[in-house]
Amino acid sequence: MVAFIGKRLFQSLFVLFGLSLLIFFIARVMPGDPARAALGFLATEEQVERLREEMHLNDPFPVQYYYWLRDLMHGDLGRSSYTRRPVTMDLVQYIPATFELILFATLISAIIGQVTGVLAGYFRNSWFDGLSRLVSYLGIATPSFVVAIFLLFVFSQVLKLAPGVGRLPIMMTPPARVTGFMTVDSLLAGRPDIALTALKHMILPAISLAVIHIAQEGRITRTSIVENMQKDYITVHRVHGIRTSRLVFKYLLKPSIIPTVTVMGLDFAFLMSNAFLVEMVYMWPGFSRYAVTAMLNKDLNAIVAVVLVIGLTFAMVNLLVDIITMFLDPTIRLRTGGS
Amino acid sequence: MSEPLLDVVDLHVGFRIFEGYLSVLNGVQLSVGVGERVGLVGETGCGKTTTVKSILRVLPMPPAKVTDGQILYRGQDVLRMRRRRVQALRRHELSAIFQDPLQSLNPVFTIGTQLRDIVKDSAIGQGRRLPRRVIEARCIEALRETGMPDPERIMTNYPIQLSGGMRQRVCIAQALSTHAKLLLADEPTTNLDVTIQDQILRKLDELVDEHGSSVVMITHSMGVVRDLTQRANTMYAGSIVETGETKQLLEGPKHPYTQGLMASVPKLTGEGISEGIPGRIPNYLDPPPGCRFHPRCVHRMEACSAELPSLFEIGGGHRAACYLYGGEA
Ligand SMILES: Nc1ncnc2c1ncn2[C@@H]1O[C@H](COP(=O)(O)OP(=O)(O)OP(=O)(O)O)[C@@H](O)[C@H]1O
Ligand code: SF4
Ligand SMILES: [Mg+2]
Repeated sequence: MVAFIGKRLFQSLFVLFGLSLLIFFIARVMPGDPARAALGFLATEEQVERLREEMHLNDPFPVQYYYWLRDLMHGDLGRSSYTRRPVTMDLVQYIPATFELILFATLISAIIGQVTGVLAGYFRNSWFDGLSRLVSYLGIATPSFVVAIFLLFVFSQVLKLAPGVGRLPIMMTPPARVTGFMTVDSLLAGRPDIALTALKHMILPAISLAVIHIAQEGRITRTSIVENMQKDYITVHRVHGIRTSRLVFKYLLKPSIIPTVTVMGLDFAFLMSNAFLVEMVYMWPGFSRYAVTAMLNKDLNAIVAVVLVIGLTFAMVNLLVDIITMFLDPTIRLRTGGS
Repeated sequence: MSEPLLDVVDLHVGFRIFEGYLSVLNGVQLSVGVGERVGLVGETGCGKTTTVKSILRVLPMPPAKVTDGQILYRGQDVLRMRRRRVQALRRHELSAIFQDPLQSLNPVFTIGTQLRDIVKDSAIGQGRRLPRRVIEARCIEALRETGMPDPERIMTNYPIQLSGGMRQRVCIAQALSTHAKLLLADEPTTNLDVTIQDQILRKLDELVDEHGSSVVMITHSMGVVRDLTQRANTMYAGSIVETGETKQLLEGPKHPYTQGLMASVPKLTGEGISEGIPGRIPNYLDPPPGCRFHPRCVHRMEACSAELPSLFEIGGGHRAACYLYGGEA
């Protein structure tokens, strides 16, 4: 097991190396002069040349890569030409807001998607299966920002059941920043009331993001439930009088959820950059918005950072998915040696 | 014979598939007395597994459909029982071992998890919650009984870590762990190595003896029938065509199909079936009318294709479904 995780970590290193090369390529090889970009067009040619020397831009690419990587390791990603702040500072501010939101969205889609998928599969061709199929197709077909606007209008404006936009009401003072997760920081500050408010603020945007994934993941789970229900071992469990709840949510769910876990991981990583429109609707100060703003403003350093973060997220999520899958599926674990 | 433990009466089961309706079980009659061991032989596809699954009520519906008949367990019809009652039966009265031990265990749970839940749910069904220690001891005991070496370690293993023979021992342990009154053993050794088939069967026999369970032993092997059963049944294309004491059946088979089976069995080895009878089992989409064996039967008469013969008494409980022994022929 440890051997497996070690091996996967090692593989991840290669992925990260490839990723860093790609990003370096974007940062340096693409047209444009970073030194000129940093100083603005009013600077003299001498000033730019001096900075170029300082930034090792006149060295060969491998040397440049070395210095670039060293800066990266020190968290130095340069300045954003748009926010006029170090990119790292921007990231630290925006990433947790999105992370907290999409974690919550993933949790919602995992729970609702799995429960509906399992029930639809177990009672296939029942009214519930039909209904969930219909709702799923609607969910898949509806863009998330439409859901976002709809939910905001109905539950916040009309019914007043949910708070409006943002992470907290404007009058409320956010807790001291530790993790950047509003709920966690509130709890750390001993303010469960703020944590609860923050959670309520996340519900609508998280559901907006979750809808499509609930639909997709639910369908995938349904398919594998239907397939696994034909397996001999399920008949055997039934013959032995295993109670139905245990049969379904333990013996049937575990083998059926394995293909879904991979999709869940991908969905989570996708949300990192695809939460943009929902973040706009809910005025969520998040990473997705930052990413799109960077693109629109040709903010090179920020773009590099965004690509880096998204790449890292994919690499980490993949690693995590592999580890979870390994826990769920002993065949993989035992084949890769060491239990 | 006093009231039988299990009495399958005129069971008709079919499958609705894309091409049409497969009329498989065609009036199965099968009874098992308390403490009795009954053999069931018949070539592949004759409906043995379908019969077993009907009794346990685990046929996939759809496509399966029970169109007629009764399955009386201690006089009560399993087919018309409430779900709850069937569940209780499965927990305390009935048990089964299936053909393929490689497919019979859940691949993502340890042997221990699967065995413990059987014991746990069986006890809960009787309104008791067993302490963990007791459950553990029972599971280990059940594994040990099957002759499994090092049961404590096996409990922590996953099915893929075990050989076919070991997995079948696990299946036997599962089936016997709740002290079922009736064990349905569906070719428990067909998919195993020849060298361990005997071992496993002997062990099973021994355990059934100790527990005093009744058994329906399904097999392709006449040798197994001879060694392990008191009564025997031959099945052909969805019905029981001959039934009687094992001795009667083996020494004086009456139904032309059973006779063909015996003739095709190399003496004593009990291997191979049906090569000796020309022809094939009928197509269930459009089975021959009357006696389903008639297209292959050398004795066929006019009556044979008109109506299905019932089991005619030959003497001493020996009966055959053939117009040579009764009816209007
Ligand atoms: N789920 C199903 N769907 C469609 N047809 C089925 C299904 N299960 C069984 N059958 C059909 O029922 C017939 C009898 O099958 P069954 O498995 O009962 O035979 P068997 O006597 O157990 O054979 P074997 O010795 O090979 O195990 C077969 O012809 C098969 O095609
Ligand atoms: S009933 Fe007729 S066809 Fe059938 S086995 Fe007897 S003799 Fe042969
Ligand atoms: Mg079978």
